[in-house]
Amino acid sequence: MARWGMAADLDRCNGCGGCVVACHAENNISTVGPEQASRGRAKHWIRVERYWEGDFPDVKLKFRPTMCQQCGNAPCEPVCPTYASHHTEDGLNAQVYNRCIGTRYCANACPYNARFFDFFNPSWEKPLQLQLNPDVSLREVGVMEKCTFCVQRIRGTQTTAKTEGREIRDGEIQPACVQACSTRALVFGDLEDRESEVSRLSRSPRGSKLLEDVGTRPAVTYLARLTEEA
Amino acid sequence: MDRRSFIKLTAVSGTSAALASCGNPENQFIRFLPDEDIVPGVAVWKPSICPLCAAGCGLTVRVMDADAEVTRDGQAGIKRIAAAKKLEGAPAHPVNRGGLCARGHAAIQVTYHPDRITQPLKRSGDRGTGQYEAISWEDALAEVVSRLNGVDAANPRAVAFLSRVGAGHRSALIQQFAGHFGGSPISFELFGDDVLRRANAVSFGRDQLPTVDLANARFVLSFGADFLGTWNSPVAQSAAYGDMRRGRPGIRGSFAQVEARMSQTGASADEWVPARPGTEGVLALGLAHVIMAASLQPAAAAGRAGSMVAGWGAGLSDYTPQRVEELTGVPAARVDRLARQFAELRPAVAIAGGAALAHSNGLFTAMAVNALNALVGSVDQPGGLSFTPQFNTGSALKFSPAAQPATPLQMLAADALSGAAVPQVAFVDGVNPVFTTPRAWRVREALEKVPYIVSFGSFLDETSALADIILPDHSFLESWVEAVPESGVAAAVASVAAPVMRPLYATRATPDVLLEIGRGLQRPLGAAWQTFDEMLGASFATLPSTTPDVDAWTDAQTKGLWSGVLPAGLARQAQAVADGATYAFEAPRFDGDAKQFPFHFLPYPSVPFGDGSTAHLPWLQEMPDPLTSAMWSSWVEINPTTAANMGISDGDVLEVASGHGSVRAGAVISPGIAPDVIAMPMGQGHTMFTRYATGRGANPAEILAPVTEAATGALAWAATRVRVTRIGPPDGSLVLFAGGIREHLEQEHR
Amino acid sequence: MTHPTGSQINRDLLHPLFNTSWRFYLLVAIFGGIVLFGLATWFTQTVNGYGVTGIRWPVYWGFYVTSFVFWIGISHAGTLISAILRLVNAGWRRPVTRCAEVITAFALIIGALFPIIHLGRPWLAFWMFPYPSERLIWPNFRSPLVWDFFAINTYLTGSLLFLYLPIIPDFAIVRDKSTGLRRKIYGALALGWRGTPKQWHRLETAMQIMAIAIIPVAVSVHTIVSFDFSMAPVPTWNTTIFGPYFVAGAIFSGIAGLLIAMAVLRKFLHLEAYLHPLHFENLGKLMLVMALLWGYFVFNERLVTYYGNEPAEMSVYWRTQSGTFAPLFWTMVICNFVLPLILMGIRRFRTITGCVIASIGVVIGMWLERFLIIVPALGHKYLPYSYGIYRPTPPEIIVASSTFAAMALLYVLFAKVVPIISIWELKAGEHPSPELLPPATEEHRLGDLHL
Ligand SMILES: Nc1nc2c(c(=O)[nH]1)N[C@H]1C(S)=C(S)[C@@H](COP(=O)(O)OP(=O)(O)OC[C@H]3O[C@@H](n4cnc5c(=O)[nH]c(N)nc54)[C@H](O)[C@@H]3O)O[C@H]1N2
Ligand SMILES: Nc1nc2c(c(=O)[nH]1)N[C@H]1C(S)=C(S)[C@@H](COP(=O)(O)OP(=O)(O)OC[C@H]3O[C@@H](n4cnc5c(=O)[nH]c(N)nc54)[C@H](O)[C@@H]3O)O[C@H]1N2
Ligand code: SF4
Ligand code: SF4
Ligand code: SF4
Ligand code: SF4
Ligand code: SF4
Ligand SMILES: [Mo]
Repeated sequence: MARWGMAADLDRCNGCGGCVVACHAENNISTVGPEQASRGRAKHWIRVERYWEGDFPDVKLKFRPTMCQQCGNAPCEPVCPTYASHHTEDGLNAQVYNRCIGTRYCANACPYNARFFDFFNPSWEKPLQLQLNPDVSLREVGVMEKCTFCVQRIRGTQTTAKTEGREIRDGEIQPACVQACSTRALVFGDLEDRESEVSRLSRSPRGSKLLEDVGTRPAVTYLARLTEEA
Repeated sequence: MDRRSFIKLTAVSGTSAALASCGNPENQFIRFLPDEDIVPGVAVWKPSICPLCAAGCGLTVRVMDADAEVTRDGQAGIKRIAAAKKLEGAPAHPVNRGGLCARGHAAIQVTYHPDRITQPLKRSGDRGTGQYEAISWEDALAEVVSRLNGVDAANPRAVAFLSRVGAGHRSALIQQFAGHFGGSPISFELFGDDVLRRANAVSFGRDQLPTVDLANARFVLSFGADFLGTWNSPVAQSAAYGDMRRGRPGIRGSFAQVEARMSQTGASADEWVPARPGTEGVLALGLAHVIMAASLQPAAAAGRAGSMVAGWGAGLSDYTPQRVEELTGVPAARVDRLARQFAELRPAVAIAGGAALAHSNGLFTAMAVNALNALVGSVDQPGGLSFTPQFNTGSALKFSPAAQPATPLQMLAADALSGAAVPQVAFVDGVNPVFTTPRAWRVREALEKVPYIVSFGSFLDETSALADIILPDHSFLESWVEAVPESGVAAAVASVAAPVMRPLYATRATPDVLLEIGRGLQRPLGAAWQTFDEMLGASFATLPSTTPDVDAWTDAQTKGLWSGVLPAGLARQAQAVADGATYAFEAPRFDGDAKQFPFHFLPYPSVPFGDGSTAHLPWLQEMPDPLTSAMWSSWVEINPTTAANMGISDGDVLEVASGHGSVRAGAVISPGIAPDVIAMPMGQGHTMFTRYATGRGANPAEILAPVTEAATGALAWAATRVRVTRIGPPDGSLVLFAGGIREHLEQEHR
Repeated sequence: MTHPTGSQINRDLLHPLFNTSWRFYLLVAIFGGIVLFGLATWFTQTVNGYGVTGIRWPVYWGFYVTSFVFWIGISHAGTLISAILRLVNAGWRRPVTRCAEVITAFALIIGALFPIIHLGRPWLAFWMFPYPSERLIWPNFRSPLVWDFFAINTYLTGSLLFLYLPIIPDFAIVRDKSTGLRRKIYGALALGWRGTPKQWHRLETAMQIMAIAIIPVAVSVHTIVSFDFSMAPVPTWNTTIFGPYFVAGAIFSGIAGLLIAMAVLRKFLHLEAYLHPLHFENLGKLMLVMALLWGYFVFNERLVTYYGNEPAEMSVYWRTQSGTFAPLFWTMVICNFVLPLILMGIRRFRTITGCVIASIGVVIGMWLERFLIIVPALGHKYLPYSYGIYRPTPPEIIVASSTFAAMALLYVLFAKVVPIISIWELKAGEHPSPELLPPATEEHRLGDLHL
């Protein structure tokens, strides 16, 4: 059984935000508009966090693409009363929109604030609905949504590989953000496969997990932006 | 009657009987007969080209069946169509290599935008009010043709064609069309690169933007170029940047960025060097001085590019590190260190662009950076800069070169206002000069003097709302598209793609419309092709095929591009500009008295919107800005110390005033900006640009001074001085996605 | 201290049941109106979407969950206090127990509404209930929200029983004094009570068992409510102190609620002869003890956070101590600690008025306490980029405040149909004229029962 994981090389990432829009496009994430955005309702399954360090003129900025870390030990899972947030066999934190009743408990428990709530029924002003991806279900008011590691792509590739009677090749599955990333900062694959690029990168001495000490065992590894040649 | 129309007919009569009673005439359309042979639920992938900037990234478009409200044969109804579903970077495209920027992803919303113009419109209210009535294509074209037949054939400025810069076929056609009336198309881009093109023409004989081989560079020094965000070919440059950092085992390229306000690119730099605005060239020459003085490179190594700089042969004695420190504010020791890094970490490359060149002395700065590159041997070398061989569409199509050089936009405006030369007909294609030009040029007033304006716009914006007639173009997904990238790739590339879906509305492809108008004229245009795709076919047929047994045109259509070695006659030629002059530093000229207007004003291209042309796309409006996390808003960036001195807190409403006007927006206190600089992103502040952008934020172009670069006449958009006044507390217009700005927050709450 | 006689007791305590003044209708109209307004607001929230509230990323809980914890806290007034007082056989409890137990029942019902009110899709609330659906999808028994479901239901069932059992003899009294339909209804409620020694014996045994059983249930309820927070890895939530801290806070606010209810009943139902200043003083002393305990817990919670100096926790810490939430925090400290300490600690102030003032302070303070536990932490969770500030909107404020009217309405209605002071227990207490006591109680004086 695979364990899907991602590596984000912060030495490559330039903060462009391509992944953010790619994720909106792939996953039918609705825009909420300026009024709701100002009330904290924008939904960005992946966000490029940026942090300032130092003061002018010795100032630096750090970018960190942050999405659901698909925790191995996900705090969002045990708290969900309906199993809408649950663990799949291949280590994903699955979110079953249909089963979610909107307690928002999972989002409180998520240390990464990776979960976004549908405060209103998502809508698209015609004909923007034509852009919707038929592989991804639409959410309704009152449910929680978040990065799925583009599970529709994972399952699609699994099915293709199965019908073709072969294993999935490393790099064959590309979540939308990974595919979009111009700098190739994001790499996706099977962590169980020691040969895969993501597993190699995850073992890099530059690698670390976000909020590792909270005990969530994330599937995302961040490779530090070291200036020394490492 | 064939089978399909028979089924159609039965379906129409059946469903209309059922639905007419529901009072839904648009539903009388048959739904279940697809436009084309598409298997429901099965996706196909078709090539296309991103239209949202000049980089010309290749797309792969996912196409699937969908029920859409479309217009067919003048009737609107619901129909099952093959619809574009998602845009992805074409993995095999040499420019973007599978990547795509945020804008590229959002381009699909151009096609599906709820406020698209769906058919030809004729103005029915006052200019600028956006009141139009429907008109048929036949009537509209007849009207345009009769207007054109009436223009004064002897006056080369009777027809003004405002369009985008470009080297592609569409531009060539427009050039031909404008040339037919004796003129050249007028292109103005706020953040254009004319200064750099001229500098490259002077230094290297190449009137073109450079392609930087970042992937192989060890040290990159960028003077103001936001090459990872908005400048030149950002996706190509980002891909190369990623490889520069981590693509070579054991080698990590370093990178320093010189600019007074940290851009998205500056944020990725190892070293951020804030230099005084307008002195970037001094810093470049300071480095050259150190390199020559330390005998790391001989002066002669810079060749022609060096000889164009005054004092080069003498080792640039005016540019000692101490002197550079005085002028630029960059410490002498740092100048020295950067110079040694630049000379020793080979290959090293310097890039100039953006605000550094948007001063009255911009050409000097570009020349200085060019000379620096030449000095360390970075021209036409791996890890350095080079010039993409470019397909000369004009010669492929046997177009005659332009008779007249283009009139700069500001001159067109001035002449129209003074009555010296008022165009009789103006065409507007893909540009919005009313929005992107300084208010001081009075482009809007000038256009109002033009008796007849034709727009090809898909949306009502500040400029198209002045048009008397609008002939809406197809969206790029509905039409033949092509691009001839100027930069971003080592080998010559010409991209082309057929429509990926049928048009939703009664629109027409602008090149086809131009050809049709050309045919209808009393003095016909005389083009050899009926349609744009015929023209493309003819052009691509001149190229050598890169696949055996397949002709170049077929091959290009399948692949979405042609790439290879250009035959000599089809390549744009290098041309040395020999003007004999040498360039020396002259203090930049700023508009506004330093006492009255204490701050430098820096408008900058926004990452999602560029110069504002993509502000109508909701995905981009809601995308958090990389540095500020702002969505749906405008803001004013100000240094923390300056803000503290002025009693300004985050989000406070500020007024930024120059000698030419004032704008208001919320304050973003940012550590990455010099204390005497005020920055604002372009893009917002549209008075008319669809439901998503209208009336949102402020347009910094409004307050720009009409200062131009001395040698090229390009707008020096970073040469305005402003004063800042705190108007009041936050008014809620500034929407930020992020809360904290620092990860380590020891002192934040005490 | 003068004590009313038996017939006086009956007359006084049954008066509201048999006589309806215009004031009753007025109160029902006012409180009922507010409740209806609250219900309508919640209905529009459900129809329009949860977005009408001020909840936002990442502060996903606000006024509603605050109100939930608050009301569950208030519910500890009654049953728990009454059970303890019964077990220690405090004679002064007699006039107090019923109005206390009623608070529990109603506060629980109101509190239990909030987990439904706050749902994004409240129409699916039943998915939290364990029932054998045809798809055999059970709720997730690892979720504290499911624990809440069990805890609250157990406590509510127990409390309703605990309330009902000692009303049985009083129902019988009403039954015996009325005619017609009313007699039939009260007859049914009285469950055939005849006052035989056997019945008295069974009642008293049942009460003893209930009193013992309900105490751990009550303690567990608020411990479990505290688990809603302490089980999640949210800075300042994830702490072992929350169980006892919440129970103490619950009892604290419960006493305050009870004192306010008693004062109101005393004034409006003219029960001066039954609710003596002594009752207030005794409960006031209890409140003083709880204030000290609460103060200890808050100090402890702060100290441990401060000493531990964990960055994410410190960020929340400073936010409440001196940042955005400092005004609320220090108001809370004044309301919950300074005020009760002064008013209840100094005998001169331990009057009915003093108790009421202190109690109102404590109710406000405890509401703020819950708000301050929930909101600042959610807004400052680990990654500063995702910090956010929550501000309630009118719908939330309306719904949350209308529950106070709901409490008042339920209380008014209850006092209209049930003697708000236990008639028989009062009679069974220390009375000067033993001949007034019902014969059965003479044999089995409640105070003599020991376990
Ligand atoms: N007319 C018609 N009838 C059909 C069919 C058809 O095509 N047409 N298809 C048939 C087939 S193949 C099937 S499988 C059946 C399906 O029939 P049903 O099993 O009735 O399926 P649904 O209507 O999809 O869902 C049942 C309910 O489960 C709820 N639900 C979702 N998650 C949870 C949860 O976590 N807990 C609880 N308690 N409830 C949950 C949903 O909200 C919904 O109300 O219908 C059959 N009947
Ligand atoms: N959005 C959404 N998706 C769902 C569900 C949902 O509730 N909502 N439900 C899911 C469930 S539970 C199910 S079971 C699946 C059902 O999904 P499908 O199996 O796709 O179900 P249908 O569309 O009912 O039928 C499939 C095709 O079988 C054809 N067919 C009918 N009779 C015969 C026959 O005798 N021989 C042959 N060869 N073909 C025949 C029909 O014309 C139809 O084209 O959908 C799943 N997908
Ligand atoms: S697309 Fe890649 S480079 Fe751009 S922000 Fe996302 S992760 Fe970073
Ligand atoms: S990041 Fe958050 S949402 Fe994702 S698995 Fe971990 S706890 Fe759950
Ligand atoms: S919001 Fe939905 S997914 Fe999250 S805990 Fe509640 S029911 Fe589960
Ligand atoms: S993996 Fe998919 S769902 Fe997750 S952030 Fe990337 S694009 Fe979005
Ligand atoms: S850089 Fe972005 S906007 Fe420009 S062509 Fe490429 S994808 Fe389109
Ligand atoms: Mo099914």
